[in-house]
Amino acid sequence: MPANVSGRAYALTALSPIREGWTSDGIAYADVVRDRLQGWNTEPNSPMTGVPNTYLCRFFVLDDVYHQSLPGAGVLDTLSDLLPVLPNALRKSVLPAEDHLKSRYLVFSSELHGGVDGDVDAYLRGMWGAIESRIREVWGWCHGFEQVTDGAGFAAYIRKCQLPAALFFNGSNDDPLAEQLKALYLKQEFTRFAVDSQGLDAATLRRRMAEFMQRVDPPNIAGPTWSPGRYRL
Amino acid sequence: MSNVAGKAYAMNVLTPIRWYTAWLNKLIFWVALKIPSTLKGLITLSLIHYARWVIIGPKQFPHLSPQQPREELKYAYMLFFSNFNGSWDQYVDSFSFAIPAGLDMFWKWNLRYPRSIALTPFHQYIRFNQIETIHYYNAYPLATSNDVKSAHAVRNALLAFQQGSDVSDEAFMTRYKALLRSLQHDLGDMAPTPIVSMSAYQVERRERWHASLPKEGKPPAPTAGQEASHAS
Repeated sequence: MPANVSGRAYALTALSPIREGWTSDGIAYADVVRDRLQGWNTEPNSPMTGVPNTYLCRFFVLDDVYHQSLPGAGVLDTLSDLLPVLPNALRKSVLPAEDHLKSRYLVFSSELHGGVDGDVDAYLRGMWGAIESRIREVWGWCHGFEQVTDGAGFAAYIRKCQLPAALFFNGSNDDPLAEQLKALYLKQEFTRFAVDSQGLDAATLRRRMAEFMQRVDPPNIAGPTWSPGRYRL
Repeated sequence: MSNVAGKAYAMNVLTPIRWYTAWLNKLIFWVALKIPSTLKGLITLSLIHYARWVIIGPKQFPHLSPQQPREELKYAYMLFFSNFNGSWDQYVDSFSFAIPAGLDMFWKWNLRYPRSIALTPFHQYIRFNQIETIHYYNAYPLATSNDVKSAHAVRNALLAFQQGSDVSDEAFMTRYKALLRSLQHDLGDMAPTPIVSMSAYQVERRERWHASLPKEGKPPAPTAGQEASHAS
């Protein structure tokens, strides 16, 4: 089983290189991407609410690789950091080397329900179907995206940007999102019911429980339930 | 910037590994994958929704078109992504306290990793190398990882309860009490925290602003007083 998969949960990591360039206003494309994503935070809810089976996901722009640390604990590190009298070349030779990226990358990381087959292509096609215009808003500034015209093309594109996980840990559960949301709805409703029903006699409680079950309809995934990304109850 | 979505926090940490030790890290993860009992410590940290480690070799950054320059990096890089409940400090400290050896094993070969204990150098290492999320989405902002797991148990219990039948009110009562007893650890109200997330705060501010609009014309700009009252 690939390391991207844990049960029926799938960890998708994609780094899409952003084109080097500037808008007519002199704004770097990477900053346009950043600005668009920032704009999503001020909408009534994330566009990702429309993408089926997304548990959690995040976007950010990787401008560069960098490394900051305290002096290391190795003998050479300590000596070189404490003894500035050493020749600079020797001192620098044991410091971490400077490293830089040549492109900036749009990082998309998603935890999703991929089913028993870990079918990420179906997920990506669904994502395209749900929020094509929003995908274009951010990926439209990336290398190679100009060839994407449909859901299958988007899935193939993200596959090229994908990096395999070395280890994926699932501390939650891997049910389809709709089942998780239904379960959360039931938990919330039943908790309230249990509190409100304390002290009732058996006959009344039995009648109310029947009404409750009819109202919340536990087997019915479609509803009533929570909607994805819901902030208010 | 939005590292927070509801009760979940998104952490991204990028750290370099020497290319000739990156394979050792991969080997450690491979062993962890093959022997799930090695992750027992992680499972005890029930505040985690999902976490993952990705190791990118110096030449493995995606290259999508001839116009894109090829990367020429000296190091491999390890990306760590986590989704957890609670604050940054709670999370990092719980790692250090619960699984210091496991943490050291996963980061051991990363450049100048200070070890998970003592806490302060470890905090600094993570803070120095953490990258902020711009947009973070959570399908259930009001639920913790434990809520998701316990909700699964509640639904199963209710489905089973629905299958049963009772000859009398007393028999029903016995079954109902048994149901409640079995779900003692799984029930609980999922109320919003004071500010569920920074993005929800933005949404709320916008909703209040729009609610104050006259039916025609442009919205008045929020006043300094309004800003202050929202921030308090």
